[in-house]
Amino acid sequence: MEALKQKAKELLQNGDVKAVLGYAVGTAGVRRPHFARNPKQVDALVLDEKCTQNLATYLTKHEVKHLGKVAVVALPATQRALLQLVAERQLRDDAICLLAVDGGEVKTLSSGAEVEQHLALKTDAMPAADKAMIEKLMAMTREQRWAYWQQELSRCVKCYACRNSCPMCYCEHCTMDCNRPQWVPVASHALGNLEYHMVRAMHLAGRCVECGECGRACPVGIPVHLLTFFAEESTAKQFGQRAGHTAKLDYALSTFKPDDKETFIR
Amino acid sequence: MSRIGVFTCHCGENIGATVDCAKVSEMCQHIPGVVHSVDYKYMCSDPGQRMMQEAIKEHSLDGVVVAACSPRMHEPTFRRAVSNAGVNPYMCEMANLREHCSWVHEKSEATTQKAADLIRVLVEKVKHNTPLFPIKVPVTKTAMVVGGGVAGIQVALDIANGGHKVILVEKSPSIGGHMSQLSETFPTLDCSQCILTPRMVEAAQHPNITLMTYSEVEKVDGFIGNFKVTVRKKARKLDEKLCTGCGLCIQKCPNKKISDEFNEGLGTRTAIYVPFPQAVPNKPVIDTLNCTFYKTGKCKVCEKVCPTNAIRFEQEDELVTLDIGAIVLATGFKLMKTEAFPEYGYGKHKDIIDGMQFERLASASGPTAGVMKRPSDGKEPETVVFIACSGSRDRSKGVPYCSKVCCMYTAKHAMLYKHKVHSGKAYVFYMDIRASGKDYDEFVRRAIEEDDVKYIRGRVSKIYEEDGKLIVKGADTLMGGEQVEIKADMVVLATAVQSNDRSEELAQTLHVSYDTYGFFAEAHPKLRPVETNTGGIFLAGACQAPRDIPESVAQASAAAAKVLGLFSQDQLTREPIVAVVNRQAGPTFSYCVGCFLCQTACPYQAIEQEHITARNGDVIKTIARINPGLCQGCGTCVATCRTKAIDLQGFSNEQLYAEIMTL
Amino acid sequence: MTEKFEPKITAFVCNWCTYAGADLTGTSRIKYQSNVRVLRVPCTGRIDFMLLMKAFQKGTDGVIVSGCHPNDCHYTSGNYHARRRWMVYKDLMDFMGVDTNRVTFSWVSAAEGARWAQLVNEVTDNIRNLGPYAEYKELAVAGIE
Ligand SMILES: Cc1cc2nc3c(=O)[nH]c(=O)nc-3n(C[C@H](O)[C@H](O)[C@H](O)COP(=O)(O)OP(=O)(O)OC[C@H]3O[C@@H](n4cnc5c(N)ncnc54)[C@H](O)[C@@H]3O)c2cc1C
Ligand code: SF4
Ligand code: SF4
Repeated sequence: MEALKQKAKELLQNGDVKAVLGYAVGTAGVRRPHFARNPKQVDALVLDEKCTQNLATYLTKHEVKHLGKVAVVALPATQRALLQLVAERQLRDDAICLLAVDGGEVKTLSSGAEVEQHLALKTDAMPAADKAMIEKLMAMTREQRWAYWQQELSRCVKCYACRNSCPMCYCEHCTMDCNRPQWVPVASHALGNLEYHMVRAMHLAGRCVECGECGRACPVGIPVHLLTFFAEESTAKQFGQRAGHTAKLDYALSTFKPDDKETFIR
Repeated sequence: MSRIGVFTCHCGENIGATVDCAKVSEMCQHIPGVVHSVDYKYMCSDPGQRMMQEAIKEHSLDGVVVAACSPRMHEPTFRRAVSNAGVNPYMCEMANLREHCSWVHEKSEATTQKAADLIRVLVEKVKHNTPLFPIKVPVTKTAMVVGGGVAGIQVALDIANGGHKVILVEKSPSIGGHMSQLSETFPTLDCSQCILTPRMVEAAQHPNITLMTYSEVEKVDGFIGNFKVTVRKKARKLDEKLCTGCGLCIQKCPNKKISDEFNEGLGTRTAIYVPFPQAVPNKPVIDTLNCTFYKTGKCKVCEKVCPTNAIRFEQEDELVTLDIGAIVLATGFKLMKTEAFPEYGYGKHKDIIDGMQFERLASASGPTAGVMKRPSDGKEPETVVFIACSGSRDRSKGVPYCSKVCCMYTAKHAMLYKHKVHSGKAYVFYMDIRASGKDYDEFVRRAIEEDDVKYIRGRVSKIYEEDGKLIVKGADTLMGGEQVEIKADMVVLATAVQSNDRSEELAQTLHVSYDTYGFFAEAHPKLRPVETNTGGIFLAGACQAPRDIPESVAQASAAAAKVLGLFSQDQLTREPIVAVVNRQAGPTFSYCVGCFLCQTACPYQAIEQEHITARNGDVIKTIARINPGLCQGCGTCVATCRTKAIDLQGFSNEQLYAEIMTL
Repeated sequence: MTEKFEPKITAFVCNWCTYAGADLTGTSRIKYQSNVRVLRVPCTGRIDFMLLMKAFQKGTDGVIVSGCHPNDCHYTSGNYHARRRWMVYKDLMDFMGVDTNRVTFSWVSAAEGARWAQLVNEVTDNIRNLGPYAEYKELAVAGIE
């Protein structure tokens, strides 16, 4: 922790970055994002197992981009998100400054290549509970799965918290807001909710970095992250391409192999 | 509110006998937006079209649905008719009542109902149609041909004779390509130089052709009709204008022991050299890697002897940018080296040579003046073994395909050998004999029957040296796999034809596709064999796949015809069924967020970057832009774009949505 | 409610292969059931999965998606991109409990007129057996209200 603060102060003092984005303690002990813009504000930084939020989401916001270069305290998922954002040209490679904390050590990663290298050392699989839940769902009959999701999604209030917390949902004009034509009904009812989540998952297939932020963000506790996780796993399994592993664009759904194998096209 | 007219055609009995057209027409009257609905016996006939045009005027229609046969049949007819009546042709759609309804269903209430449904869907589509206008792209009528082998020369001559300027870019010091190295050519055994040299000279002297030898394409921007190509003119170290090609420098150059590429290493050349006596242009280059001056800082003999003071040691590469309307790739192939064969001693034995080396040995202008002498000791070989399919059709060598020319040139080689060494013995190991061209099989038969070449069907497993002989071991599969062993004096491997080194790189520079083996990919294997997927870039010769001379030349003329077709108009007119990226006022400027995930989805590399800049020139946002000259309108990008920033004219999101919502 | 169930089938087909193939079915006068409604798009690459989603909203009981065989795409690779899209779409829809038996993907070339008729008949019979897509229709009704 001290090493992290030290590094953060150093970066600010040297003028290498305009702000350091990390975590601080919020109300009721919740860990919230914290922008330290001068060395004094660095002191509020914390980093413990309660810090889970994927801070990459903030980096594509106009306000943050206007700040100038920002150093980010980066969990592995944040690192993956960053790579994917660089690949999708939402961040410039030279805008990268990640503070990866490993044990007591703080590593500064300042290019896509460095992040790639650092990540290659990690095997950060999907949380076991999520994996188990997906398996459990797949063991059900289709009708049971339908019933499960209908029940879960019936609570959705279409607040779009899942979308807004997602680092990869940076579009300025989301399909959900498209009204010519109005692809998905605005109101939160069974059809609109289902369609929203279908679209969200399809749009994240091959792009989801599996941080699970959407699931944590949902105020009514719908495990929406399982949908994007599943979509991502499906692309990874079928095409061998995975999001968040390289800063070069390698999007499974706009590339192909003539011998891609499927079993259902007649 | 739209004013749409529906015109239902009976197509005589074709539709009328199954679908109740009068009823359909009646039903369509009630669709909101439809102000006129009639049925008629033959809508496509003159009176039918005239009736439609009158109705358009009388009812001030702004959209038309013709319910008749397949749009694949008559869409152009009706769009033209509508256009002649003053309505934009793209405001007309066709409902397919014949192929998709009356011809495939029984006469029934349901069939009539379906007919009405099909029309309803298209009425809703037309409500969302917008007038579209043909896309016009200007064309620069200068072609660039890359590669000056026989294919490239032919393309250049054909285009130039068609009256247009051609820039012929060749990376080596002379044009001519592989054909200039050949001794005699199958299936006629005429001398290669004799037929090629006149063509080379013609190309050099043609008023419409500019040769750029010792040059390479560095960069290509733009699109069909409007390329900007940057060419690197490598420094010859010579002022070409002053040089008269007298050759004094070559005679006097002290550095004479450099392995000669043109003779495939079987001869030597000097550091300042022309690749071969008939080279075009006949102007030397200095090989800076081997020149004594560049190595030691001393010599400059050539400079001293040159009567016109043409030598320029300080000359640098030059970059030239040209405006080009069409590009033809004719960069040819390379031959696999004997080094690729561990089982035959990795190119260690001097007397195991490849086909091109044999061509040089057999050539009257070659290192032996056409006398059969084997490389190791210059002796006349008494027994020669030719091995076809060396590397070709062999997955372990990475070449599963057939190299196409080897069966033929192996027969030619065996024949040439027998013509030169009458008492000699020639054996050919082969897998199959593929001789399917005109007079080709007759040619092979001649080798076997008249020239007594022994053909053995089987593979050679091993070659080793023993008592000054090369022992060739193989199996004769026609004799039940019996082992054969031949004591040879020379072995000629018909090694595989492969794509050039760096062909992928060149393809990427030009944005054309290439196959697994690095050959450039044609746009369609059957119907568009000389076009690439990139508009305005064409292919000729062995850069697309292994080819012999007749095929290369035919393809070259085909490519030239494509270029001449393109150049026959000042502007290129294209159907406006293309994708467009949404644009709007700032601060958003476009729904596009510049993720460029669509870019690789486009089969035609039509998606470019567009910078939106502030007044002071700062880039505010970078978004996708579809080049209408390149887009073919497949719509793959549209379905890829998450934000719906791209739409396809003629099949837009709103149109398709409206259609589905009518079902 | 004794009326016999007639499924509503929506087909998304590309202009160059399957649409032309279906034209050939017509020219060859091969008969098939009339439930299907064909929507023509230039290429399977153009078929956004959201179009299928909307078709189900409108009460389609079964969907056919068809285009050129691999290697035969008029635009060389639109169908390859479409194939990947469907590979993920089908997987995901199944995970969400959508009845993917109601979506049939197929390659029908411009020469396969008989195949088109057979495909439409098979899908129509299959969907007739499956019955109306009630689950989804309920959503749609609830949605619109
Ligand atoms: C041993 C052998 C014997 C043969 N005998 C016969 C025969 O008897 N009859 C017959 O019909 N065919 C024969 N062939 C086939 C014949 O050689 C080819 O069909 C013919 O050479 C193909 O012509 P091309 O112009 O396509 O390619 P090439 O002859 O390979 O010419 C390509 C040209 O492009 C140039 N180039 C390459 N890359 C670039 C670049 N990046 N930029 C600029 N220029 C570039 C090269 O320097 C070369 O000059 C034989 C082939 C071999 C290997
Ligand atoms: S849901 Fe899809 S389109 Fe919408 S913001 Fe997220 S990624 Fe972009
Ligand atoms: S419509 Fe097809 S050809 Fe045109 S830009 Fe999009 S992907 Fe490329």
